[in-house]
Amino acid sequence: MNEQELHEAVSRLPKSIEPPRDLWPDISARIKVRPWRRWYWVPLAAAAVFVLVMIGRSIKPTAWDVTALAGRPLIGTHRLAASGRLRVGDWLQTDDSSRALVAVGRIGQVEVQPDTRVQLVVARADEHRLALAHGTIAAKVDAVPRLFFVETPAGTAIDLGCAYTLATDSLGKGVLHVTAGEVEFQTGLRSARVPLGALIQIRPTTGPGIPYVDDAPAPFVRALMTFDYEPRGTRARAIRTVLALARPQDALSLWHLLQRVDPSLRGLVYDRLATLVPPPPGVTRLGAIALHLPDLDEYWTTIQRIHFRMMVLRGVRDVDPRTGKAVH
Amino acid sequence: MPPPDDLVARAQAGDQTAFRDLYRQHAGRVYALCLRLTGDARDADERTQDVFVRLWDKLRSFRGDSAFSSWLHRLAVNVVLNERRTTGRRERRVTLAEDPAVLEKNPGTSLEGLSIDLERAIADLPNGAREVFVLYDIEGYGHGEIAELVGIAEGTSKAQLFRARRLLREKLER
Repeated sequence: MNEQELHEAVSRLPKSIEPPRDLWPDISARIKVRPWRRWYWVPLAAAAVFVLVMIGRSIKPTAWDVTALAGRPLIGTHRLAASGRLRVGDWLQTDDSSRALVAVGRIGQVEVQPDTRVQLVVARADEHRLALAHGTIAAKVDAVPRLFFVETPAGTAIDLGCAYTLATDSLGKGVLHVTAGEVEFQTGLRSARVPLGALIQIRPTTGPGIPYVDDAPAPFVRALMTFDYEPRGTRARAIRTVLALARPQDALSLWHLLQRVDPSLRGLVYDRLATLVPPPPGVTRLGAIALHLPDLDEYWTTIQRIHFRMMVLRGVRDVDPRTGKAVH
Repeated sequence: MPPPDDLVARAQAGDQTAFRDLYRQHAGRVYALCLRLTGDARDADERTQDVFVRLWDKLRSFRGDSAFSSWLHRLAVNVVLNERRTTGRRERRVTLAEDPAVLEKNPGTSLEGLSIDLERAIADLPNGAREVFVLYDIEGYGHGEIAELVGIAEGTSKAQLFRARRLLREKLER
């Protein structure tokens, strides 16, 4: 048997094997009678009280540490010498020669680049929120998703456990580039999921454009921008261009496009997407075209997994962009 | 049966009937993973139970950022690997041949003989090689992820995979 035959035999193995007996009665008994739930209620109660006290303390507005990296940034009207505290409601402003590092509670940090103005809006253990009026920040957060938010004039960047750079002007025109993990950008009902190695253009009122990978071909990106921001009359041609130029690596763009085109065009987009990255078992064409959330989520998980593998293994190993499997 | 997302939400709220339905939906996938990672039907039985007991404890932390099935899959991998790390009692290599009915009872596995031979050959692999082979070639994890999950270097993961494939080819050629 050679490598290829082994690979084919492995691919034929069943994904599911039913247990030889019904395990539910044993599982049910174990989750109903958990000794620790009876015996350890005292320390658990003490722990719960401690957590409540900590939450109570954290709900009070607190402050974040700020360190000047270059020049002398302003907090409110005070020049920052070396370090200081940013309190809820305070504005931190850098000029063209100053930069600052803001500790995001205990979960991460934000580097505030020159010519930037940010405000601390919420500083709680369960919500960390900045407002970016204009300028550029580089955020790095190590926490569970949806603890760190950055509001811009065009919408809100929601951290899903990641690192990213976000730039905006005072009207809301900007760009979000993700370098680790994933970020969601939301404006009203429109949102975009941006994984590492991808970026979005952001515009006032319309919000996040369709994400694309940072090595996407320029004509593909131009067609996406036309679709997102040009008059409706030009969109049909832009969609055709996007579909024609899309590579398997651009599946994340088509996944978003599917949800933004007119209903009559969804089939066209889905078929192209399915050609580039086959949908996982259980995802149906009908469900995806109807924008059925479980179908879309399942498909996204597959696209995201493949994309992540490609990014992580970039330069190390060739990966089939349709499946995420290493090419042997 | 209600849609999976509804089941998850109800189980998160403490509904054991919904949790039982979740078990019914996912038991086969979880058991297959446990069986292949442990190479032993009795261990797979225990680990599958452990996974669902752990799921019951952890369910509230599922926030829907990924598909539930993917999240559960990762949880199952962690449960099996953690168990091996903590007990270190995987040295006995009881193969699937001990209970061949496990595979033959399942319609999905009553394939041509090759699949069953392959399953047995996988179960017969040394522990480290089997884990890497199952995670990489069957479950689609990358070497970086495997290194993190198993607690080995990436290079070791690659070496174990090479070794597993060679051993499998040799066994299946006999």
